Amino acid sequence: MDPAALPAPTDLVELRFMRTALVELALLGVAGGLLGAWIVLRRLAFFAHATGTATFPGLVVADATGFSATLAALAVALGYAGGVERAGRAGRDPGDVATALLLVVALAGGVVLASDVFESGAAVDRLLFGTALGLGAGDLWIAAGAAAAALAATLLLGRAWTAVGFDGAGGEALGVPVRTADRLLLGLVAVAAVAALPAVGALLVASLFVVPAATARLLTRSVGGLLAAAVAVAVVQGAAGLYVSLWLDAPPGPAVAVVGSLLYVAAALATAARATARPAPLEAA
Amino acid sequence: MTAAVAASGLAVAYGGGRPALERVEFELAAGSSLCVLGPNGGGKTTLFRALTGELAPLRGTVSVAGGRPAYLAQTERTRLDFPVSALDVALMGSLANGRWWLPARRSDRATARAALDRVGLADRAGDRFGELSGGQRQRVLLARAIVQDARVLLLDEPLAGVDPASAERIERLFGELRDEGRALLVSTHDVDSARAFDRVLCVNHDQIAFGAPADVLSREVLERTYGAEIVVLDEPGPDGTVRAVTVQHHHHDH
Repeated sequence: MDPAALPAPTDLVELRFMRTALVELALLGVAGGLLGAWIVLRRLAFFAHATGTATFPGLVVADATGFSATLAALAVALGYAGGVERAGRAGRDPGDVATALLLVVALAGGVVLASDVFESGAAVDRLLFGTALGLGAGDLWIAAGAAAAALAATLLLGRAWTAVGFDGAGGEALGVPVRTADRLLLGLVAVAAVAALPAVGALLVASLFVVPAATARLLTRSVGGLLAAAVAVAVVQGAAGLYVSLWLDAPPGPAVAVVGSLLYVAAALATAARATARPAPLEAA
Repeated sequence: MTAAVAASGLAVAYGGGRPALERVEFELAAGSSLCVLGPNGGGKTTLFRALTGELAPLRGTVSVAGGRPAYLAQTERTRLDFPVSALDVALMGSLANGRWWLPARRSDRATARAALDRVGLADRAGDRFGELSGGQRQRVLLARAIVQDARVLLLDEPLAGVDPASAERIERLFGELRDEGRALLVSTHDVDSARAFDRVLCVNHDQIAFGAPADVLSREVLERTYGAEIVVLDEPGPDGTVRAVTVQHHHHDH
């Protein structure tokens, strides 16, 4: 395709595979925006990224053996989330070093398995970066389930997550079930990350679960505003990313990630410009 | 006299280790205030964690009357970057009604607004918590405790880094809350301020002393409590108790 020739935006809904991808990214936008807001507020961005990447070796094995990719990824993601929760409960933060080590082991282990054990070949790209243009009805149902779970959890647990995230000890003293709330958040992030794998792959999960919420965080001043804006940014980045992918014949997962990153940079520049134009007021006594 | 807070033979440890605090024995009546004095790492926050139930006693017992106590951390230990307003924080007190999965009711909002009004911050309800001054933040946390309707309030160094005007206002609020029959436990580094409380508890891993300020605030007790961290001034205070200043950095203790 000639890169200069812009496709019609209506292609996004008229081409069947594009329409499916658009619905998938919109559903994941709801899940990613809502959970992403909590991920960013609770400083779990690295955890969300690591959860996605940790699934890679499981995906390679599933792909080569014909085992369900979703179940394999779910087992790995929930296992990882459980390990992080246990470490946190024992007062031992798993820490950045342990997470970085896990990322290296998961990526390197996955690549070795793919190249030398299963000879997966071209499948590696798909597992790492997703293939939003080859999705089926099953993928849509899983994404819809993730969106519904994220929405239900936000409605039921949002106040507790806010109180605990703002002031852990004070929240616990209010009688909020801190451990249950934290477990549910980590578990939901793991499940939703697995739902996003077909579209964006193991390496780009953060593009849906961290980047839109980080952008929205720059533009909003309340938890409610953050939740709404994160969903809006995630849906817009999904549609714009698909359009760019159609225009430049680029893989959709990376295209969505690049568009999301550009939106973040634009929001950061706008925020910085606004702060320069209007100096912060002096602190009141 | 019924005790609002009582500890008997209390020892508390972290994760099965050696007790961080032991031999604690005191009673505090409803409608009275207790100042907890001790060096950094001396066990002040550990005592509060045992009273909230976060840490189970290794030995002995603790009891807190009237449901869950409110815990007010040093405001620097809350997340100042969190996108919550003063009203949002006060409203968190309504989570203590046990229905944390339901949205806040209209009546909860009215209670939270009334609490902010009471601490003199009605006009700052919509302001971001992190953008308020230290004293205003402390008052917002007090409003949260008022919404919670806690009968026992545990305050961790509430006046650290607060300007004198705000401190005076907060101390007046302490008096009002006490007059309503609530019990206040306040940890502090400020030995001078301990005189204004009904009771003083000195801890340094062990309980050093407990009683009325005039009986407890002696040179011997303060030196045993703070060790080398204290300078006792030669000139006695107005009520005959010794005057002293602690020389230490403000950082979090256990």
